Amino acid sequence: MKKRLICLLPLIITIAIILQYEFAPNFRTFTALDRNAPTHVFSIFMGFFAAGFAVWNVLSVFSQKAFDALRKKAPIYTVALVLLLMYDILTLTMGFLPQPFVPWPDAILNAIIRDREILQLSLFHSLRLLFTGYGIGVVAGVLTGVAAGWSSRVCYWVQPVVKVFGAIPPVTWLPIILVLFTNLFVGAVTLIALAVWFPVTSTTMNGVLSVPKINFEAASTFGVTKFGMIFNIAIPASMPFIFQGLAQGMSIACTALLIAEMMGVTAGLGWYINWQRGWAEFAGMYAAVLIIAVTFFAVNAVLNLLRRYALHWKGDVV
Amino acid sequence: MKKGRIRIWDLNKTFTENNEELCAIENLTLRIGTGEFVSIVGTSGCGKSTLLRIIAGLEKPTRGMVTCDGIDITAPSPNRGLVFQEHALFPWMTIRKNIVFALKSSGRYSKYADTITPLLEKAGLAEFANAYPHQLSGGMRQRAAVIRSLAVSPDVLLLDEPLGALDSFTRMLLQDELIRLWQERQNTMIMITHDVDEAVYLSNRIIVMSPRPGRITEIVNVPMSYPRNRASSEFSNLRTRLLKQLNFAADVEQDYYL
Repeated sequence: MKKRLICLLPLIITIAIILQYEFAPNFRTFTALDRNAPTHVFSIFMGFFAAGFAVWNVLSVFSQKAFDALRKKAPIYTVALVLLLMYDILTLTMGFLPQPFVPWPDAILNAIIRDREILQLSLFHSLRLLFTGYGIGVVAGVLTGVAAGWSSRVCYWVQPVVKVFGAIPPVTWLPIILVLFTNLFVGAVTLIALAVWFPVTSTTMNGVLSVPKINFEAASTFGVTKFGMIFNIAIPASMPFIFQGLAQGMSIACTALLIAEMMGVTAGLGWYINWQRGWAEFAGMYAAVLIIAVTFFAVNAVLNLLRRYALHWKGDVV
Repeated sequence: MKKGRIRIWDLNKTFTENNEELCAIENLTLRIGTGEFVSIVGTSGCGKSTLLRIIAGLEKPTRGMVTCDGIDITAPSPNRGLVFQEHALFPWMTIRKNIVFALKSSGRYSKYADTITPLLEKAGLAEFANAYPHQLSGGMRQRAAVIRSLAVSPDVLLLDEPLGALDSFTRMLLQDELIRLWQERQNTMIMITHDVDEAVYLSNRIIVMSPRPGRITEIVNVPMSYPRNRASSEFSNLRTRLLKQLNFAADVEQDYYL
């Protein structure tokens, strides 16, 4: 009974948010001309969540699996929703947080809808830059990492480079890149690729170096060629390490991407945030932040799925 | 002509560690014939693993000569399979893929592809063919490692304490399986073991080695026919003789002398 109640909490809070938003008096009155005048968009948005939680609750009556999942997630969802409720109260209802610098949820959602075309384009530019740079950095990093892990002579030359230059935060290169590259897209790709190259190289190298010798010995008794030793033994065996580098590289790439866009590149979500700030469009800034959060979350989720697929032979991958 | 003859002439192997020369094997001469099952017993540090690795081609002799069918052993070859103490299956491949990979690497896939399924069945691994090594028990992994090496159909199969990490019941079951596979394939088997019973149960000949420096102290022929009876007096006499040779069955009374 108590468990059921906990499972219902997210739904109850979601409905409370809608009621609070629709019926509580606002901190000031809005005219129709007001850009951020409250609409029903936030209610509709939360309505989807309410419907989702309702369906989940119904399912949980019939399916133990659905129930367990909901019971596990309900507390954190409840807390998140309570925070959202408080945020709405502190902004739109009370005007307690400094206005107009902290827009309420409805204003942010409306900013996304209003500017959807530019935001879409910005997202496209950001992702293109991110994946071009990340892709180049990963390929280069895995290649140098495998070469350095495989050959002690390559390692002799690569390791100091990784140690010295890898210690420099990638953002430090930005001013130099802005000076050197006339094409800022190429410059930003270089920056991101460089930022990704270091962690991927060092984890891959460590991965190849830590492959148990017995794997190579066993392979040699089957007559595996040198090519096979690298591609069928060394690389698959160091996959757990490589994925560690891929995850590290991704978080550095995301940081480098936004900094590049905020400091020079004239497209993308980072640029959009700065542009909106210039116009004192605070809702737009928050909108871009929200989209960035969702995007990076999704990118990391995809990366994690890939990792689980690639490492399913390990058994203890979480 | 049948293959799998190993000849070792005056083999010496020294390791240099911290500027100190360590003699692992000294003046070892040995001939092992086609289709023989030879066990090597001895306390740890007697160089038996080193000897096996030299025959496999993973180590080079310091002095002396080791040949297989008249050809100098300089590098590992699919003709000489090696089963390691720790299974050494590739953890990122399923059991079947492990075997397929071994066959393809040795260039014998087209010849032996049809033998994979029967081998898996014989080893009781048919339903685990698509499982990964971490999903199997220790005994299953070791069995998989043995049939992976056998699948390549080596003339000589080298076994480095392949059953050492297993409990005694599993071990006895696998010993029977080893004999069956060996009688079917009629290849040469050279096995290292710590277990005197295992040596007596399996082999035609037992080579006793002593440590520092590693050398052969005795070669014992085992004239019993297969399958052998672990409870027979012949069996226990041989075992006692070997234990004495290894200094584990010295006159016990002396310990209680007052």
